[in-house]
Amino acid sequence: MSHMSLRSLNLPGVGTKYEFVTDKGDTVAIFFTKTGAIQMYTLQQGCNTPSAAEMTPVEARRLGNILTGAIIEADQESVEVAFSALADLRITLHTYIIPASIAGKTIENLQIRTKTGATVIAVSRHSMNIINPPPSFVFETGDAALVIGETDQLKNLEREIMVD
Amino acid sequence: MEGIVLALFICLVLALVTKYLSVPAIPFYILAGVILGKAGLGLVASDEISHFFSEMGLIFLLFFMGLGLKIDRIVANRSAVLTSGAIDLNVNMIIGFVAAYLLGFPLVEALIIAAAFYISSTAMALTSLIENRKLMMREADTIIWLMVFEDLVLIIILAILSAGDQNLILFAAKILLVLGILYALAHYGKEFLISILDRDDELPIIFTFAAVLTTASFSMYLGVPATMMVIALGAAFATTDPDAFEQHARPFKDVFLVVFFVFFGVTIDLSGGADWGVIGIICILAIMSKLISGILTGIYIHDSALSGLEIWGNTIARGEFSIALAVLYGSPVVGMTIAAMVIVTSIVGSFMAKYSTSLRRGIVGFGRKSAPPRRIHTKH
Repeated sequence: MSHMSLRSLNLPGVGTKYEFVTDKGDTVAIFFTKTGAIQMYTLQQGCNTPSAAEMTPVEARRLGNILTGAIIEADQESVEVAFSALADLRITLHTYIIPASIAGKTIENLQIRTKTGATVIAVSRHSMNIINPPPSFVFETGDAALVIGETDQLKNLEREIMVD
Repeated sequence: MEGIVLALFICLVLALVTKYLSVPAIPFYILAGVILGKAGLGLVASDEISHFFSEMGLIFLLFFMGLGLKIDRIVANRSAVLTSGAIDLNVNMIIGFVAAYLLGFPLVEALIIAAAFYISSTAMALTSLIENRKLMMREADTIIWLMVFEDLVLIIILAILSAGDQNLILFAAKILLVLGILYALAHYGKEFLISILDRDDELPIIFTFAAVLTTASFSMYLGVPATMMVIALGAAFATTDPDAFEQHARPFKDVFLVVFFVFFGVTIDLSGGADWGVIGIICILAIMSKLISGILTGIYIHDSALSGLEIWGNTIARGEFSIALAVLYGSPVVGMTIAAMVIVTSIVGSFMAKYSTSLRRGIVGFGRKSAPPRRIHTKH
């Protein structure tokens, strides 16, 4: 097993540099510049000229999410947060695209909280956000629902309610 | 007062345009000053207010330089930094000094021109590395450390020049004493400093401003120039939380430095006569001597003269520190010579930094094409 060694370097006046060489011999370097921009360079093994991309912090975080595998599909994202102050409570936020099978039903009809333990905290419809939808809220096909719960509760939701 | 407002407004427009075109703003601030001021339309004259603002610009520039001092890191990085630093210092100082002296400048003025000729613009070099996406190149590290080395040399030059006719040993002792006191204050007051910097109200920014101003004004009592005092303060504060201090001092530096550049241009005086031939020669030599030092550094550090082209492209531009030397110690003629050198080298530099990679490729490609075709070995 080879181990990837990550070097971090402080460059005076420029910012911080992180660099590592992959198993295949390619080099990846990331610079957090003092201007706030983040530059990522990749250099293929045997190549002389690196290619570069400059990102804003938001774009860099998005890239980070993609690389850590947190975004499962482009339209179904999930973030897990751990609260160390609450005995390592781990809670997950997950978005679901409402399938046709439950369109026209309300949150109350579906008994989401009773059946699964998870809670719908927001619904996005035609780029409008409805925060804390009431139990009488009626889902439509294509709504994106943001649900909060523990991993098991979300699994229940996927198995029992979000079925096509 | 109207003058400063007009100058600032023009600089704001220039800042927008130069950012849009991604070219350095400093030469255009100076040019704007020259056009608005004595040498040009005479619309803006320097007064007490602009003088104070300019002084603040210089003081914050030097405070920033002190914050960025990394003597321990230079020592850790020694050999490469010292080699490239020594090449850069020797080549450019000698060419600059000999040229200025032979062109008829008196000894001290020739030394000031040589120092301004030697010192590249750290701000422009680092910006061009970032904007042209060159941070990963191996030459980038060399250039970054070269700038740190040049800053250190500049401090020594400033110390020597500001000593004037004082006893050098006594003067050095005074500077060391100031440095010692400031270091001790930063060391024993570290908790307090960090507790102030951590606040999210206006206190950190007021504190930073007041600390810089107070230290600068103490120079009157100690006989140590304000420039040395604020560099020492920066170096002492760098032992606590340099990033926080940079963040709180940046707005002051950014605004006052623009005034500093534009009013440097305003005070340029052509009435004493300008020898454009002399100025032209200095400008061309300023570009060529960095080519020589760049290629030598490329050969010594990276085993490649082509690497030297990259180093050259990013270090041609002279800027803020050259102007600081002109403002602090230059006569009107020296000031004008340095102004012209900064304008020419920074524009040529920004162009070369953008195209140095293509230039390099062009040379490699041309070398291949023009190389004599290999002989085919045939049996006799």
